[in-house]
Amino acid sequence: MTQALFRPSTRPSVLGDNRPEHKGALVVGPVMLMQSELVWLLGAVAKGDEAAFERLYAETRAKLYGVLLRILGRPALAEEVMQETYLKVWKMADKFDPTIASPITWMVAIARNRAIDIVRKRGDLWIEEEPEAMEVASEAPQPLARREMTEELKRLLSCLGRLDPEKQRIVLLAYYSGWSREQLAQKLDIPVNTIKTWLRRSLLEIRECMER
Amino acid sequence: MLDDDRDALAAEYVLGTLSAEERGQAEALITIDPGFAEIVRVWERRLGELNVMVEAVEPPADLWNKIKAQIGGGKEPIPPAIAETAPRTAPEPTAEIARPQSELQLPPEPAQDLTPDLTPDVTPDLAKEFDALLRQDLEDKSTTAALASSLLPPEPPAAATTSPAAPAGAPAAPKTERSADVVYLARKAQRLQVIAGAMGAIAALLAVFIAVDRLAPGLFSRGRPAPAVATAPPRSRFVAVLQQEPTAPAFLLSVDPQSRTMTVRRMTAAADTGRSYELWLIADKNHSPQSLGLVGAEEFTARPLPANFDVEAMRRASYAVSLEPAGGAPHGVPTGPILFTGKMVESLPGAPS
Repeated sequence: MTQALFRPSTRPSVLGDNRPEHKGALVVGPVMLMQSELVWLLGAVAKGDEAAFERLYAETRAKLYGVLLRILGRPALAEEVMQETYLKVWKMADKFDPTIASPITWMVAIARNRAIDIVRKRGDLWIEEEPEAMEVASEAPQPLARREMTEELKRLLSCLGRLDPEKQRIVLLAYYSGWSREQLAQKLDIPVNTIKTWLRRSLLEIRECMER
Repeated sequence: MLDDDRDALAAEYVLGTLSAEERGQAEALITIDPGFAEIVRVWERRLGELNVMVEAVEPPADLWNKIKAQIGGGKEPIPPAIAETAPRTAPEPTAEIARPQSELQLPPEPAQDLTPDLTPDVTPDLAKEFDALLRQDLEDKSTTAALASSLLPPEPPAAATTSPAAPAGAPAAPKTERSADVVYLARKAQRLQVIAGAMGAIAALLAVFIAVDRLAPGLFSRGRPAPAVATAPPRSRFVAVLQQEPTAPAFLLSVDPQSRTMTVRRMTAAADTGRSYELWLIADKNHSPQSLGLVGAEEFTARPLPANFDVEAMRRASYAVSLEPAGGAPHGVPTGPILFTGKMVESLPGAPS
């Protein structure tokens, strides 16, 4: 039951061999260890360093692909958005500000935004049944490694934990699956107006709690 | 729109629960209103940490080559459409960042993830409980499947409401029709809360997370988009922010050329007691304003575009809102003061092919 944020690659890293000082980091990958290195990599990418970009890709690809696959479902589509996302990261690395976001949060936000734009634009038919869907999420969920719990995450979780369980579930499902209010309403059999009210109230409660 | 409304819109934009229409409005606000863009950034920071809980999945091996091929030409100027919707517009951070040598030299970590290194007096128990909870959880795959399917739309509502909330949701009220697994989870979740003390809220949340996570696979696999839909043409939309000052958008006007509908959303505009807000299209200086009708009292006013309106002309036109006598300007020309104006921007640019 290992939980590496970035799963070890099944193929050797192209850069691994000539980077002895980095031994092991590709395999370990908890966010706490990698954050400052990712910041450094993004800085190099901003200057057009393709080798740094490849390293950045190697260290973040599994997380981003996991996020996209959850929301988009279809591997081909997730791959497409992966390409768009990394192209955008390549072009916009100089816009990344480490005082505002962590590298992975920034990259995930770019990927999620794009994925959700796509599913929203395709409308309600999106949630129709698709028989040959791949079972991407059939693997067991993993508990969080303790050390992956950043202070920010702990705070967010404790604030989420103060919400009614039902509201916690809605916020998590929305983040996790990229569902709209309508989809949440349909899947959970709760009126969409209730979902709307709950979401609003929950998010404002989270804001209040986290600003304390 | 009150501050809370703005904040909720930003939060839901980040969370992803808005409709395409509202996402377009939020994205228009991001490009036009720096204050709103900042609120979005704050929410991205607040909620973004949740990505830690999403399971990493290794992408296909040849994906890197495709990405590499795309960046082959080196750095290019960013197309405006991408730059505008960028989540960050922060100052250059890169030059001063020193390489963190000490971090790079750290030895590989052992694969033990539940090593308790936070709040040592509580977490060992919590970790153990958590682990046991999960293990138990995995032993009964058929139950998982049953639970998952009970969440799906065709099932009766009663089944749907019991499953996902149960583990951490209502631990004290296990119902008989629930599976033993859920009851077990619920009890475990309850015990977690008792044991963990201060960490109780987190534990409960993690239990919910597990429940969601293990339920989600069924949902996902049943909820896949149909291929025909996946190739549906993208829908571009246009949004105009009608305002007096940059920080106070009064109305958002969005136009969907495909369905030929327009929607006006009230933002900060004051209530129009006794009088009516009327929306005008101003094609150019040589034409007098054409009325697009009154803005309703509700948050959203939606109506079809007039049949004789050319979408391209609408995209280039300016828009204005004037305050008119109740029922609108009597002779089809604005009589009251023009309060708010704006031009169209493209939002939700189409998906690349």
